[in-house]
Amino acid sequence: MTKIFYILKKEFLVMGRDVHSLAVLFIMPVAFILIMSLAMRDLFETHGVNQIKILVVNQDKSDQSGAFIGMLEKLGTFSLHHMDDEIDFDVIRHKMFQDDFKFALVVEKGFSLAADGDASNKSGRQMILLVKPSVNRQTYTILKNTFTANLAKARIAQLIKGQEELIDSAGIDIDQMMQPADSLIETRYVSKGKLKFKVPTSVQQSVPAWLVFSMFFVVIPLSNTFIAERNYGTLMRLQSMNISTGFLLAGKLLPFFIVNLIQVVLMILVGVFLVPLLGGDALTMGDSYGGLLLITTAVSFCSISFALLVASVAKTTEHATTIGGVFNIIFGALGGIMIPKFVMPDFMQTLSVLSPMSWGLEGFLDIFLRNGNVLDVMKESLLLLLIGLVMFSATAFIIRKKLSL
Amino acid sequence: MIEIKHLYKSYGKQLVLDDINLSIQKGVITGLLGPNGAGKTTLVSVLIGILRRDRGDIVIDGFNLDRSLSEIQTICSIVPQNLAIYPMLSAYENLEYFGGLQGLKGQALQARIDYCTEVASLQSFLSKRVHKFSGGMKRRLNLAIGLLNNPRLLYLDEPTVGVDTQSRNYILEMIKKINREEGTTIIYTSHYMQEIEQVSDMIAIIDEGHLILKGPKAEILKQDFTVSIRVCELNNALLDRFKDIKAARVQDDCIQLTRDEDFHDNLIEIFSVLKSHAVEVIDFDSRDKSLETLFLKLTRKSLRDA
Repeated sequence: MTKIFYILKKEFLVMGRDVHSLAVLFIMPVAFILIMSLAMRDLFETHGVNQIKILVVNQDKSDQSGAFIGMLEKLGTFSLHHMDDEIDFDVIRHKMFQDDFKFALVVEKGFSLAADGDASNKSGRQMILLVKPSVNRQTYTILKNTFTANLAKARIAQLIKGQEELIDSAGIDIDQMMQPADSLIETRYVSKGKLKFKVPTSVQQSVPAWLVFSMFFVVIPLSNTFIAERNYGTLMRLQSMNISTGFLLAGKLLPFFIVNLIQVVLMILVGVFLVPLLGGDALTMGDSYGGLLLITTAVSFCSISFALLVASVAKTTEHATTIGGVFNIIFGALGGIMIPKFVMPDFMQTLSVLSPMSWGLEGFLDIFLRNGNVLDVMKESLLLLLIGLVMFSATAFIIRKKLSL
Repeated sequence: MIEIKHLYKSYGKQLVLDDINLSIQKGVITGLLGPNGAGKTTLVSVLIGILRRDRGDIVIDGFNLDRSLSEIQTICSIVPQNLAIYPMLSAYENLEYFGGLQGLKGQALQARIDYCTEVASLQSFLSKRVHKFSGGMKRRLNLAIGLLNNPRLLYLDEPTVGVDTQSRNYILEMIKKINREEGTTIIYTSHYMQEIEQVSDMIAIIDEGHLILKGPKAEILKQDFTVSIRVCELNNALLDRFKDIKAARVQDDCIQLTRDEDFHDNLIEIFSVLKSHAVEVIDFDSRDKSLETLFLKLTRKSLRDA
C-alpha cells in the first residue's frame, strides 16, 4: 500500500505540473462540450424546447391575419418578433442579419380577402417567407408545413363562421374540430429503462461524447511520462529495485483511472451547471450510478491500455503524441464523437463499431439519455474491458521484451 | 563479494560478453574501464538482474543470481548512466519516491534522505525542482538516489558523464567517502582513465566483450614502470657492460630500465658503471606508465578511437 501511495503521489505531482497535459485532459473537453452543446442546439431543436425566432411583419392588419399570427404564437414552437408593417424588404433583410433571425414572415395585404375566399384576390399569394441560405432543408420544410397547416386551419375557421348551427345539427363538435393538431398526437420517447423518458438535447449528446474523447486523451501525458522513464533509465532503476513489470504497469493504471473519474465528474458538472448558464440545456443524468461506474471503468481501462500500448511501441514522445493523437481523432470521427451517429449514413454507422469510443459513447448515452441500468451497459462494458485486456497484455509483453533484451 | 564465472551474453548474433571471469572483494572500488560499446553497461545490467545472460555463474554476497534475485536487488543499487530522475519533481520528491518504492517509510525514509542529501551536498536544494538544477547537481542527485537503500554493493555506470571538472572531482570524492564510511563495495564503469586511476582500488579493462586485464591498480600501473637515464656520451665499452642487464635497453644516449625482480640491483649497477667511467648524467626520469598507455598497448587502439 505504501508503494501505491508514492506512485500516486508522483504521478499526480508530475501531471499537475504539466500544464499541457492538464489542458488536454480537462480544458479541451470542457471547451468542446460548451462549444458543441451550443453549436448543435438547432440540430436537436425538433425535440427540444428551443424556439425558432421569426420576424413578423403584418401588412394586412386584419382580424384574420391577427388570428393566424396568434395561432402560430400559441404553438410555442416559434418566438415571434413583430416589426413595423410599413417597412420594406431591405430593412427586414438588414434586421435578419443584424439580430440573427433565420426567418422572416411577411403577411401581405390581401391576406384577409384570400382567407375569406374573396374572388377579387387574384394573385393567390398571402405571405412571403424570407429564409437565410444557411437554414437546413429539414427545418425549412417543417416550418413551411406548420404555416400551411395553420393557414388551412384559419381558412376552415373562416369557412365555418356563421355555419355553426348547421354544423352542430350535423353532430359535429366545432371546438373539438378546431383543437390544435398537436394536441391530437402524443409523442413518447423510447428509453431502455422503465417508463421514464427524456428529451434528447445537444448537451445530452455533447457531454458523453467529449467525455469519452477526453478519457482517451490520457494517451498524451501517460505516454510522455512512460517514454521519458524508459529513455532516461528510470524504468531500469525501478526494475533494479525489484519492482515487477506488472507493478510498473499497474502503477500507471490506478492514477490515470482516478484522472478519468475526475474527468467524468467534471464533465457532468459542466453539463449540469455551466452549459445552462450559457443558454444551453442542462444535462440530466440517469438513475443508474452502478451503470455509470461500470461504463466509466470499462472506458477508462480501455483508454489507459491503449495509451500504454502506444507508449510501449513509440520510440519518442513526439512519436507517441502523433500516433495517439491521430488514432484518437479517427476513433472520435468514426465513433460518433464529432458528428452524432444518427446523422451518419447507414454504412458509416456500421463502420463506427470499429471505434472503441463508439462503444463507450453508447454506454454513456444508455445511462444519460435512455435511462439504462447496469444490464443495459453490460455489452459495451464487456467489449471495452476485453479489448483493453488484449492491449494491456500486448503492452506487458512488449515492455518485458524491451526491458530484458 | 562478487564471483563471476564464464559469463556470456549476446544480443542476437552479436556476442557482447565473452567468457567473463571476475572476482571482486568486499569493500573495494573496482574501476571497469573500456571504450563505448565494450560491454560495461551490459555487464552491470546482468549483475543487477535486469538483463538475462546466456550462461555463466554469478554469486553476489553469497546469493546466487538465479535463485535469489530479490535478495540481491535488496542489497545492491545502480546509478544508471542516464539521469534516472524526474525533472518536474523537486529533489526531495524524487528521493521520497524512490525511497518509498524500496519499502522505506516514516523516520527511516527521512533519515536516509537526510544522509544521502548530506553526502551529495544537496541540503539547500531539496525543495528546488530538478529541471532547474545544473548538470553536476543532477548527477549528484542521481547518485544520492542510489544510496537510499544503504547498498552493500553499488554500481556506478559512468556517473560523471557531461559534468564539469569541479563537479566531477566532487563526485569522485563523494564516491570515495561512501566507500570509506559505509564500507560499500563499488563497481565504477567509465571510459575516463583518469577517473578510474583516481578512484579505484582494482582495475578491470574490458574491450569488445573480453576482460583483457584485471588486478590491483598499484600492480597494474607498475607493470611497465620504467626509468630513463640520459647521459653525455656512451662508448662501446659501456654498451658491452649494459648488454648483460636484460631489463636495460640503450638507445642513443639514453638507458631505459624496466621494472623486474632485479630492478634495484640493476639500477645500482648502472649507476656504478657510469660513475666508474666518469660519465655525466644529464637527466633522470622515473614514472608509472599511464593507464592510457597501458590500454593502448593492450588493445592497440586509443579509447577515443574505439
